[in-house]
Amino acid sequence: MELEPVIGIEIHVELKTKSKMFSSAPTSFGQSPNSMTVPFDLAFPGTMPVVNKEAVRFGIKVCKALNMKINKTLYFDRKNYFYPDLPKGYQITQQFDPIGKDGYVLLETENGERKITIEQAHLEEDTAKQLHLNDISLIDFNRCGTPLIEIVSNPDMRSGEEAMKYVEAIREIVTFLEVSDGKMENGSLRCDINISLREKGSNKFGVKTECKNLNTISNIKAAVDYEIKRQTEIILSGGKVEQETRRYDETNKKTVLMRKKTNAIDYKYFREPNIIPIDLSDDFINDAIYSMNKLPYEYKKEFKKEGLSNYEIEVLLKDLYTVNYFSDCVLLGVKNLSTLWNLLLVEILGYLNKNELALKDINLSKESLVYLANALSDNKINSKQGKIVLEKMLKENKDSKEIIKELNLEQVSDKSFIEDLVNQVLENNKQVVADYQKGKDHGLGYLVGQVMKLSQGKANPKLAKDIIISKIGECPKK
Amino acid sequence: MSKLNSKSIVSLHKKLVKKEITALDLVKEAIENCKHDPCNSLEATCYDEALKKASKITEVKEDEILKGIPYLAKDNYSTKGLETTASSNILNGYVPLYDATVISRLNQKGMILIGKTTMDELAMGGTGTTSHKGVTCNPYDKTRIAGGSSCGSATSLALGFVPLTLGSDTGDSVRKPASYNSLVGFKPTWGRVSRYGLFPFAPSLDCPAYFTRNVLDSAYILSAISGHDSKDMSSSTRKKDNYEKYVKENRTLNKVGYFKAVKDNIKNPIIKAKYEELLSKLEEKGYEIIEYDYPLELLNALYPTYMIISCAEATSNNANLDGIRFGPKPDGDLKTYSDYMIEARTKGFSDLIKRRFVIGSFSLLSENMSEMFSRAQKARRLIVDNLNLFFDSIDYLLVPASYDKPKKISELSTSWSTKPDYLDNIMTLGNFGGNPSLTLPLGYLDNLPFGVNITGRIFEDGYVFALASEIEKITGLKDIVVKEAK
Repeated sequence: MELEPVIGIEIHVELKTKSKMFSSAPTSFGQSPNSMTVPFDLAFPGTMPVVNKEAVRFGIKVCKALNMKINKTLYFDRKNYFYPDLPKGYQITQQFDPIGKDGYVLLETENGERKITIEQAHLEEDTAKQLHLNDISLIDFNRCGTPLIEIVSNPDMRSGEEAMKYVEAIREIVTFLEVSDGKMENGSLRCDINISLREKGSNKFGVKTECKNLNTISNIKAAVDYEIKRQTEIILSGGKVEQETRRYDETNKKTVLMRKKTNAIDYKYFREPNIIPIDLSDDFINDAIYSMNKLPYEYKKEFKKEGLSNYEIEVLLKDLYTVNYFSDCVLLGVKNLSTLWNLLLVEILGYLNKNELALKDINLSKESLVYLANALSDNKINSKQGKIVLEKMLKENKDSKEIIKELNLEQVSDKSFIEDLVNQVLENNKQVVADYQKGKDHGLGYLVGQVMKLSQGKANPKLAKDIIISKIGECPKK
Repeated sequence: MSKLNSKSIVSLHKKLVKKEITALDLVKEAIENCKHDPCNSLEATCYDEALKKASKITEVKEDEILKGIPYLAKDNYSTKGLETTASSNILNGYVPLYDATVISRLNQKGMILIGKTTMDELAMGGTGTTSHKGVTCNPYDKTRIAGGSSCGSATSLALGFVPLTLGSDTGDSVRKPASYNSLVGFKPTWGRVSRYGLFPFAPSLDCPAYFTRNVLDSAYILSAISGHDSKDMSSSTRKKDNYEKYVKENRTLNKVGYFKAVKDNIKNPIIKAKYEELLSKLEEKGYEIIEYDYPLELLNALYPTYMIISCAEATSNNANLDGIRFGPKPDGDLKTYSDYMIEARTKGFSDLIKRRFVIGSFSLLSENMSEMFSRAQKARRLIVDNLNLFFDSIDYLLVPASYDKPKKISELSTSWSTKPDYLDNIMTLGNFGGNPSLTLPLGYLDNLPFGVNITGRIFEDGYVFALASEIEKITGLKDIVVKEAK
């Protein structure tokens, strides 16, 4: 029997609005407990929800980026259940008419391009955080009411790799839109992954498990692969997969049981009576769409056209600040993108990592970096000199043009000047020239070296080499 | 000597402007009144704060109609620094951190809060007997109910403690007790007045409402408290009006309608006679009186529809009362969060409240949803559509506000009627449709008052006041207080 994995993912993305989804309290991370609250967040009687416009705007951007149909009327519903982290005893969400429906993302995978369809995206509020100590449980309501958008995929994924790529794609989109930090380790992007197996070719779904506690992108692949293996073993040995919630144990690299899903809770959904349906004007929707940042796939297309490799693009897109910095440099007139890429993502990033700094911390002038990149690609300086210049730029915060001038590094490409030097060198090394012309090809390198020495390293070596060959001919083959 | 606080807001205002009396005189007397309460009308009071505020008022200008006037508020309005319990044990000791919008608007106009009034627990009830403080009785006959849920606000106003009391109206919780206490009880259009800070019972039906002893005072109050509130998204952004002008300029509409099924079923001969007499007097004044056949099956649907929608919403709205963040902490060896919540809620709510929650929860369960909650919502849609049909051609709906004497407290039963009389629930129409609706005195049965109720089109609150003022002139019943509770 050949088994096929069926994977669907629910992703909760915290929106980084200034205030909460339904209250004026600030959203924040790492503040002292319960300091970021207003009476509504603690569900004091009589308080009422007021929908955060910015969160709706962010929601529209996410839906648009995921190619979804945007609902022009906003509806909210109550999901009723008792839990200490839920002060109202219900969560305000969008059960019946979500803000976005029927979208998709495209993934580049080992098996080529894959389209993952998305069922819906809905706005809701986050719960409070609980801290369980030995004999007491504490509740911090700072997170309570933080806006979330939940993105629900269809069960379209078939492997750990696809699941990982999907989450990465969503993470890239929400961070590029600047609607979320998208940090899995902080919980600002959380995913629940539903995994089941079925016989290949069947349309029916098998019993699924839900996997939680995935706090890095690479854990997703590991967890899904493990769960596929676990379920495969159960099924092939004649057993039955049980419906349960599991969490990923990072140390042991396996999924472990959290709880069995026996009788599901009845959430008694009904329309939130304190929020009358809100008609979104075309202007409001269009404003949100027009103010969207460029999306990852748009950058990809652009960079590809400009000649970056897939690998270079993938590395570049990992961080929005770097992408924006890179794009700005391109606009300033970089002649060769790969040269810039090398400077920024190899040399500079290496320096930053070593010193535990981020690009935005060091105030590196884009004009200066562009000048350096162009000096390199124009062969005005060589790569060794380039490193010296860059080091001075980073350590002394100096302008590249000035450094090159100061160090007198600029290569000389004046043909008559180099020709004079070549003539001198040939005159002084007649034996070498004679040996070369008999077939000792290493003589050429020696001659170029002598020209460089005479020019104090400033002569354009390629030009010097060309002139020497024009005078003494090619080395004959033995 | 008749008490100052028995007079109308308008006449007290004139005295304050002329400096014949001071705000402090009024507040001192109101406090004295509250201290001699024969009907169990009061929850927490704020006498010191009130005296402080009153002593600061040295002058009242012509246009400061409400300045220096004392008032009481039902105990489901959030009042900053003043215990607010909704007459439920589960909120004992809860001191809010903020003022309800209605409270802050009245305070801004210079009105002075004296204290809070009793109510049926969490506003769920119509008798005024289910407060955690026990029974609030009718000042006209202490063996009888005052009506509810805004019982303490009705009795304290009927006793002349102050000239304004705030209530709230989800079914008829102001308009029914107004009828039993010879008062003007007004429920504005849903959305006309912010609900922010009013403890929710059933938000889609809830409305801040209030009692006065005459129609003009009532109109002035709406002018003061209405208007959009950014804290309540359901509050209307429509421009508010000068409602008192409708009364002063007699701006009424012409067509007064009644439901045939209602008029035909009034059993009490005195109420029937008074009601018919009123209709003919209005006709004499030139109003067109129109009989209307509202579908009987929808009248019969009023009670079950109301119970299911209000209980369903109530079970969710009161889910925040879990003892964790406010209210009394539960005792005992409570191991889990659910033990904690269950203990707090078991001790905190009366059995009557639990019954409503069970019904509300039951009607929302997925297996019952379509047969109960969704069906009730459909019924509500039909009820409102048919009410709107009525209002397509008729300007006002006029019904008696009560159909018998207030019940004897000793004869009350907690079991629910299996054959509810639609007459008892007729005023829920105004809650289903969100219409402005006002009860005012019509007459007496053996010295026990009964009222008449006017309902108008949504946002035509002003026209409702205008007709009410006409009726007030016909009956001559205004500014009525109980001389001595019997």
